[in-house]
Amino acid sequence: MVVAGVTRERLIVRARRVEGAPVVAVRACLRAGARDESNPGLALVSGRMLSEGSGSRDWRRIAQGAEDLGASIAAFGDLELQGVAVDSLAADWEVAIDWAAELALESSFPADRCAWSVRQAEGELASLADHPDAATSWVFREQLYAPHPAARPPQGDARSLAAIDSDLCRKFHERSKESGLIVSVAGVVDAEAVERRVRERFAAVAGRRAELDSPPAPAGAEARRAWPVHGDQAHLFMGHLTVARSHPALPALRLLSVILGAGGGLSGRLPHRVREREGLAYSTHVDAAAGAGLDPGRLSVYVGTSPENVERAIRAVTEELQRVLDDGVTDAEVEEARAYLLGREPFRRETARQWADLMAAAVHYDLPLDSPEWVIDRVRAVDREQIERAARELIRPDEIKITVGAPE
Amino acid sequence: MTVDLRPLCALPGRLREHRLDNGLAVCLLENRQAPLVSTSIWYRVGACDEDAPTAGSAHFLEHMMFKGSGRYAAGEIDRRTRELGGSNNAFTSQDSTAYYFSFSGDRWQEALEIEADRMTGLTLDPEEVERERQVIEEELAMYEDDPWDALDKAVHRALFGDHPYGRPIIGTRESLAAIGADELAAFHRRFYRPDNAVLVIAGDFDAKALDAVQRAFGGLQAGGEARSPIPQPAALDAPQRLERHQGEVGRLLLALPSPGADHPDYAPLRLLLTALAGPRTSRLAACLVEDEQLCVGVSAEIAETVEPGMAAVAAELLPGVESRLVEERVRLELARLVTDPLGDDEIERARRILVADWVFGLERIHQQGLAVGMALCLFDTDYPERHLRRALDCSRSRLAEVAERWIAPERTSVTGWSLPA
Repeated sequence: MVVAGVTRERLIVRARRVEGAPVVAVRACLRAGARDESNPGLALVSGRMLSEGSGSRDWRRIAQGAEDLGASIAAFGDLELQGVAVDSLAADWEVAIDWAAELALESSFPADRCAWSVRQAEGELASLADHPDAATSWVFREQLYAPHPAARPPQGDARSLAAIDSDLCRKFHERSKESGLIVSVAGVVDAEAVERRVRERFAAVAGRRAELDSPPAPAGAEARRAWPVHGDQAHLFMGHLTVARSHPALPALRLLSVILGAGGGLSGRLPHRVREREGLAYSTHVDAAAGAGLDPGRLSVYVGTSPENVERAIRAVTEELQRVLDDGVTDAEVEEARAYLLGREPFRRETARQWADLMAAAVHYDLPLDSPEWVIDRVRAVDREQIERAARELIRPDEIKITVGAPE
Repeated sequence: MTVDLRPLCALPGRLREHRLDNGLAVCLLENRQAPLVSTSIWYRVGACDEDAPTAGSAHFLEHMMFKGSGRYAAGEIDRRTRELGGSNNAFTSQDSTAYYFSFSGDRWQEALEIEADRMTGLTLDPEEVERERQVIEEELAMYEDDPWDALDKAVHRALFGDHPYGRPIIGTRESLAAIGADELAAFHRRFYRPDNAVLVIAGDFDAKALDAVQRAFGGLQAGGEARSPIPQPAALDAPQRLERHQGEVGRLLLALPSPGADHPDYAPLRLLLTALAGPRTSRLAACLVEDEQLCVGVSAEIAETVEPGMAAVAAELLPGVESRLVEERVRLELARLVTDPLGDDEIERARRILVADWVFGLERIHQQGLAVGMALCLFDTDYPERHLRRALDCSRSRLAEVAERWIAPERTSVTGWSLPA
């Protein structure tokens, strides 16, 4: 359980024994990401550089050390965090923690490996264009979030990547360390022994966290955008910004999402209308708070359909959203959505890796996301009126932005 | 470092096998690591049981299994699953078709009723069939737009020719047009019978689980038709090349014929491919990605098929890199597996990675159930452990022999390229 105020500490440690497969998952997360970067792509490259060299080992020895034990090391940088994820057999928990500390705290940012990381990111951007749904999703996000960093791919763009070197990464890394570090460990381990070792290995991280500047607020762009893509299918995104992770209406939006179609399978209003009734699409996704984090999430509806069916799909989605506002939702839908979310809860915390990620998220958002009781109570507390109120206040059909990725 | 990895190779939980009088194979994998239950039912039917003109029938039928049966109207299975807080899905492979549910441990039994109902009472309303055909055509368009999927389809066709493994599981626009409610009903009658199915219940169920299975399935009639023997794919006469143009980035898929998944050479070959293009320091990843920096990524896979299948090396190029250069490197490293056999350290590393992948791949109850189901449907329940044992036991000389047999560069292969348009 997170205690109010504790997040001002620079180092926060969470450890938990999770019965099951004989594995351990270690996460060391620096509390700064793309939303804190000066140069687009910097958080991604800096994060990935954590496994490219340390004070005592080059990338090859780091990788080989992990592979010798059948472990994996993934260094990452996303919108809000950078860090290292080490997954290993439980018997190797001590070395997994030692590696996480070494990589998170003693990274050496070799210039040649930085240049390679930049080039890889350029390659990923080029590859993104070959995945029309993903490419269109970033155009949609730009329409919603610009100039906020959530508007752009984590790689930034070719020009911003060209400006990234090892010095820039090192400086960003130092600043990120000041902003705090979360270490979470889960698996078939002795939680107390784990916590002792983590505190010993991360002892250099002490004191209070430094505040980082807020990123520019989302303003968004034009209401409708067409984007040329490869292939035959059209990719339709519709939505607008909603609320951040800590917003009190979030549980109601989660239930609303399920009612609309976020509940898996083909059930829910939008999949039923778009796929089952009209046969317009194989893929439909909906979420009323997609990507909600420190910054607002978004209502996001996706339909993959034929170019000639795009307008029909837009009409269907718009009508279904309006129907929620006009007619509300039924008690049966609410109870079904509640049962779904409650039933899925144990599946969100089934593995050591899930627990490690949940514990890190709980600390980062200062919410007890790792407490099943808290999550369940929040879902149980939502009633139909709250869902309808959240819909009326937060779903705004007249503000919906539309992105259509379609072949030229 | 040599560590005994054998204790990690066992399936988690306690496994019991039963067979009902009507032939339904039932597998109970009891594991109380979490209060969850996963069920899956596997039919011994897949794309390899279709005729070319109606290719895609197995997959089409998989979609229709959610579109109405005696007690569950179209969409009702998903609605009921959601109401019970569960999840469900299905997939069709070349050799099998599987349907699965995951629920909390106190409400999983309706999965049995659903499966029994749609095994015998599938509705196949012609209007629903037509609507679903449109959905599958959209699915087909989605795969065709993905450069990797499109390349994979072309390479399968080139490697297997007219053999069923060469046909896309989803079918083609033409074959989909030829499949109607009658064809689907005949396909269903032929294969969806208890004596052609395997039912797996995995997780935290109680002692009455087998009684529940008997109640749901015991009254169903046997009569499934044994699948016709699948011919072995014919060997290619000579190496083949194909080139497609799609997208912005170069992609290579170099495919080799491989043994079936229960062939004694399969596990050693998988070990070789792990050492070739698995983790960062594997031979090809180190060369193409980390050192020469020609590719964003490289990987190697081997299909887990009953009959001889396909092993493949995949590489995605960085913009501006010459395809010829990458292909040369891939061929060189493949050849080197024969001329410069793996060292002990490489072998031990690949073994540890295989075992760790196995352990991490079975963290969830659902994954454990699927592993058992696939094994019993296509082979037997000892298959996963037998496979791992073969990987752990094979000597350096045995690996060299397998490399010579399956990877030697003179073997027939298909080199598929997807190059910028």
